[in-house]
Amino acid sequence: MENIKRRKFIKKTAAASAFSATTGLYPGIAFSNWKASDSLSDEIKWSKTPCRFCGVGCGLLVATSNGRAVAVKGDPESSVNKGLCCVKGYHTVLALYGKDRLTKAQVRKNGQMVEVPIEEALDLVASKMQETVKEHGKNAVAMYGSGQWTIPDGYVASKFMKGAIGTNNLEANARLCMASAVTGFLTSFGSDEPMGCYEDIDHADAFVLWGNNMAEMHPVLYSRILDQRLKKKHIKIIDLTTRTTRTSYADDKTILFKPQTDLAIANAICYEIIKNGWINDQFIKDHCSFKTGKTNIGYGLEEKFKFNDQAKPSSFAEFKKLLNDYTPEKVEKLSGVPAEDIRYLASIYGDPKTKVMSLWCMGFNQHTRGTWINNLIYNIHLLTGKIATPGNSPFSLTGQPSACGTVREVGTLTHKLPHGVVMNEKDRQFAAKIWGVPVENIPDKPSNHTVEMFRSMDRGEIRFMWIQVTNPMVTMPKLNRYRKACEKEGRFIVVSDIYPTPTTAVADVILPSAMWIEREGMFGNSERRTQHFNQLVPPPGDAISDAWQIIEVARRMGFEKLFPWKEENHIEEIWKEYRKHHAGAKHEMAPYEELKKRPGIQWPFVNGKETKWRFNTKYDPATKGYDPKGKESFDFYGKKDHRAWIWFRPYEPPPEIPDKEYPFWLNTGRVVEHWHSGSMTRRIPILHKAMPHAYVELHPADAKEQGIYNGDPVKLTSRRGTLTLPASIDQRGRPVRGQVFVPFFDENYLINELTLDAYCPISKQPDYKKCAVKVEKG
Amino acid sequence: MKKEITEYRMMFIGLCIVLMVASIFIFAKSLSQEQSGLSNEFLTKDVSETETVFPDIVQEKEVFALAGKAKLLELQTTYSSRERTLSNFYKRRAYPGAPPRIPHEVQQDMAGGNNCLTCHDNGGYVAKFSAYTPVTPHPGMENCRQCHVPETTETLFQETDWKTFDPPEIGRSALHGSPPPIPHSLQLRGNCLACHGGAAAVREIRSSHPERINCRQCHVKKNDLHQFTVKRS
Repeated sequence: MENIKRRKFIKKTAAASAFSATTGLYPGIAFSNWKASDSLSDEIKWSKTPCRFCGVGCGLLVATSNGRAVAVKGDPESSVNKGLCCVKGYHTVLALYGKDRLTKAQVRKNGQMVEVPIEEALDLVASKMQETVKEHGKNAVAMYGSGQWTIPDGYVASKFMKGAIGTNNLEANARLCMASAVTGFLTSFGSDEPMGCYEDIDHADAFVLWGNNMAEMHPVLYSRILDQRLKKKHIKIIDLTTRTTRTSYADDKTILFKPQTDLAIANAICYEIIKNGWINDQFIKDHCSFKTGKTNIGYGLEEKFKFNDQAKPSSFAEFKKLLNDYTPEKVEKLSGVPAEDIRYLASIYGDPKTKVMSLWCMGFNQHTRGTWINNLIYNIHLLTGKIATPGNSPFSLTGQPSACGTVREVGTLTHKLPHGVVMNEKDRQFAAKIWGVPVENIPDKPSNHTVEMFRSMDRGEIRFMWIQVTNPMVTMPKLNRYRKACEKEGRFIVVSDIYPTPTTAVADVILPSAMWIEREGMFGNSERRTQHFNQLVPPPGDAISDAWQIIEVARRMGFEKLFPWKEENHIEEIWKEYRKHHAGAKHEMAPYEELKKRPGIQWPFVNGKETKWRFNTKYDPATKGYDPKGKESFDFYGKKDHRAWIWFRPYEPPPEIPDKEYPFWLNTGRVVEHWHSGSMTRRIPILHKAMPHAYVELHPADAKEQGIYNGDPVKLTSRRGTLTLPASIDQRGRPVRGQVFVPFFDENYLINELTLDAYCPISKQPDYKKCAVKVEKG
Repeated sequence: MKKEITEYRMMFIGLCIVLMVASIFIFAKSLSQEQSGLSNEFLTKDVSETETVFPDIVQEKEVFALAGKAKLLELQTTYSSRERTLSNFYKRRAYPGAPPRIPHEVQQDMAGGNNCLTCHDNGGYVAKFSAYTPVTPHPGMENCRQCHVPETTETLFQETDWKTFDPPEIGRSALHGSPPPIPHSLQLRGNCLACHGGAAAVREIRSSHPERINCRQCHVKKNDLHQFTVKRS
């Protein structure tokens, strides 16, 4: 980065003279509405950073002047977005400057939150944590972080909870958004994260979007697809969805299906592919093995629900036989998708000349059979051999800037370690050695996943929870129960955040955090790309980074030897230590110096080279027979048998289906303007003004039947809660008949008070897309 | 044979010249008629002042005369209260270079889809808004509302302390009358005339010579001038 000297910023007086010629021409013109800053210096510096918001991980250039961020543009050198952003990205920096920013620590005293020096608050957190461990045991304390943690934040949290304190009560909100993708990868390939990358978009001929409103949720990537279609006329975009969206309006074909029936549709596609002989025999013979798992696996609604899947060896013949229940005609009855459309989809996947990219995000992952549906999409790509080559790519998109980097790679989940899982002794030994702790410190059993963690809090097993960079009091399903749990006597909640939220409202201690470019850090995006950013502006008031908050508390608890780093270079030191966990061709992370230089680097980063396509012998140095100049072959080294696993997974119904009393499906999600619980984007004027509040979207015919007009109050009731909010008819999207949609960004309309906390028994990720509600004119 | 072709060609060129002269004559006459029909002080004042903008080279005067008339025509057609001004231009942006918000009502997605480009690809007069449509500076991008959002309320969720820098100064010519340099980044703004040319251009930065479409022949990016031009290392 270079400092840019430029002519002095125009001061107001100078501006007046500069415009004198103009004002002479056009009397009455003044820039009265322009809120310029007089205090800015005459130097502007542009620095690279990944965007703060979603998992696409766009490269931004942020302009700073006199300690403030003042402008943004897309980084043309970033291969992710090539200079383009979305409306959130262009206005990210405004998220730093809401007037109600938390700048001082607060502690609850006699029921009231009182500002205190941050040292005092950190002392209290440390002593309370120690006290809780002493009185109730190690598993009475928990930490709940997020995919918005930087990689160093997550790493410090993991070392602190698992290595130092010795509990696996460490979770992150990515459990609510990515867990099924992880278990999908692990069960099919034995190695997490996509084999392909965004460059697949430039090579693919057809794009099948599975329950994914990309135009709003991953707009920069959707634009990249649209751009390809504009250049190459043959490209097809197919939107498989339960709701007509902005994405559907730009696609070539929209296929509407009934909730949960994606499982059957995927199986029917496989059935057709096999029936028509479109399978890639050689690929299956050389690189795949067949498995079956348990069925009727439940929904996690019971307290302390436990489930362990079991892989049974199967065969192609058995797989083929099991698929007989999924003929297009049978699936048409279940899913509402015409058999003809299922055959059309199968023909796209089956045509050896068509390179296909499948994309999905929350539609698949927030699903009580999330792991299964992830497996099923891989089945389609594996049967046809359309995987891990440029343009043939099953691609799991992510929602948070570092869901991959921090939660999946660092492993800030109860069962994970930075490398491997807590259940594996070798993995525990490996982590303990790098951390410098006795291996016994790391418990060998996972404790609580997110939903169970909040249930434990309700039951009183967990007494202390430290929540960082996330807003569970907006985002937890069945919210009423878990809010009450946090408010119970004898629970101590610490919340690190940047603005007041419904979560800080239940806190006993609030720690003001330095966000994003107010500190140094790294994010990891959906395509295995690690992106470093420097501290560009100072944090406000007493705010400090999440990592440094944990380090301060750890030192107060006597773990200073494990966290010896100096404030000036702790990020570099942490990265160097963290990299050791991933050494080796399968997961090698780029060195710190390289990360600082480039807009982003994809791992595995081996001998100075990024790996764009994993498991492919032409591109992936970890494969057996790796040869960049040789012929393309495959080595699915994640599994011990070096094969990708094709799982037979049946259709099973969701736990709650609309009935007479609650006749509508409730689906929840996002809008392009707001990101997650809206605590940042709602403070950005242009975004709030464009989308000021949540709404309930109805199908026009359903609305008409009940005499509901646009903007009318509508009362939604589920078995768990009631919410009245304005109707939205044929505005942003159109649900199918018998379904309503509510975005979850608005803390004034907490839709999660209605949602169900059922989850995928394998991934433990809740399903926010399906539950039953009653709809009444309010 | 050859001779015949040459003769035909000569005749054709001659006819063209006659037609051109005639059309210029008719065109100019219609202009002067229209002008005489307008006794607006604004117009006359403006024209007299803009004359000084043109190069003072006597032998070039004829060349620029027509351009001057083109400008006159432009001013006439855009003289309306809905003309784009720099003040509004910046009011719609969070900082210089930010994507502007949509300043008018738009159809919701489900009421017919995203039709922004119907108007913003080609421009033209829209009676509904009594204004000329600004043309997109980045044609070929279809997901418009990825970056541009309408305003549906004027209230805020929370007050903001956002500040940014002043917009670039205008009139930065090195010499009196020399072409001013480009004070901003061209990223997503490659089509100069979207903002600088034609009836929908922003008044204060409208080019006096939109017919010369090779803008960067004379206007160069000046890297030390303004932060928007800066390339990182």
